[in-house]
Amino acid sequence: MPLTLTLEENIRALARLDTQPDGGQRLVLPYYAVLDLARGLGRPRGRPRSGNVARVELAALALGIPPERYLRNGGTYSLAEQARLLGSRAAMVGLGGLGGHVLEILARSGVGHIRAADGDECQPSNLNRQLLCTRRSINGYKAAAAAARVQLLNPAVDFEPVAAFLDEDLMERFLAGADLALDALGGLKDRPALLRQAARAGIPLVTAAVAGQAGFVATVLPGATGPADLFGPGGEGAEDTLGTPAPAVAAAAALMGAEALNILCGRAPSLAGAMLVFDLEAMRFERVRL
Amino acid sequence: MHVAIRCFASLSRFTPPDAEAFSAAPGETVGQLAQRLGIPPVDLKLVFINGAHVELNAKLADGDRVGLFPAVGGG
Repeated sequence: MPLTLTLEENIRALARLDTQPDGGQRLVLPYYAVLDLARGLGRPRGRPRSGNVARVELAALALGIPPERYLRNGGTYSLAEQARLLGSRAAMVGLGGLGGHVLEILARSGVGHIRAADGDECQPSNLNRQLLCTRRSINGYKAAAAAARVQLLNPAVDFEPVAAFLDEDLMERFLAGADLALDALGGLKDRPALLRQAARAGIPLVTAAVAGQAGFVATVLPGATGPADLFGPGGEGAEDTLGTPAPAVAAAAALMGAEALNILCGRAPSLAGAMLVFDLEAMRFERVRL
Repeated sequence: MHVAIRCFASLSRFTPPDAEAFSAAPGETVGQLAQRLGIPPVDLKLVFINGAHVELNAKLADGDRVGLFPAVGGG
């Protein structure tokens, strides 16, 4: 009779005692062990299914053994919070400048389910700032570039790309089942609709926008006033003349990513009812109550 | 009395030279201040004083920090 070990027994057997940067020692589930165990749960060759990778990582976290890829999340996210991230669902509209960087942060951090929509194709004018837009991805769908990027970053992530522009009806369907909505749209036009639909879905919305060296990030709880209510859907945004340079876009996306992870790992949103405005030329940040 | 003024993004060109201590009249509203700076009303979408969003009829007080923000939507 063959001796088969449970997943938990396998994890304990493959865990390694590692010295940490602070000098302490802790058990870690090595990177390749996660992949091998995930393959053992089905599909023995090739790329393991994301659900199986996440299952192995969740089992390790439950045993108090962090998967090696999340080690440098350190004490910032507890093992329970890391597990919560793996079970969380983010829905992001826009895979341009903001969306590409936010996706990078969420996927690396181990947000388990990410749905992201953009009907646009990569253009040469995106190259100044958009992580997903490279010499290789030009003329291809941003959603396809996003799927390829997530696959490269973290096989535990169940990523659902949507290569379409969402009208308000589609936004409603797109947000169904999500824990958090992310507004990574460009321009003013579609933002009020997304704000309304996030409120209807009863989930928080993390939103950001930039123009030149200035920008803001905000969290809007259902029913609360958001930046899109103040700016409206019409007229020109200041970015039409000032542009969208890389530092402001990446800074806004990093702040969105931090707040999204705060919320998805189960903490209270830090920016609820407020927006953080910044000016990278003057190097000033200010928190504004809405 | 004096207020400190921060004009963001496309409004930065309306920043007065003495923005850190800009003279304001007692009873002056933030809307009147924006008008004095020459900011077209249509371009002014968000005004905040001392870190709180206010309407254009909010009255200024000595030492207030005033922030003026246009519509910003780039991503």
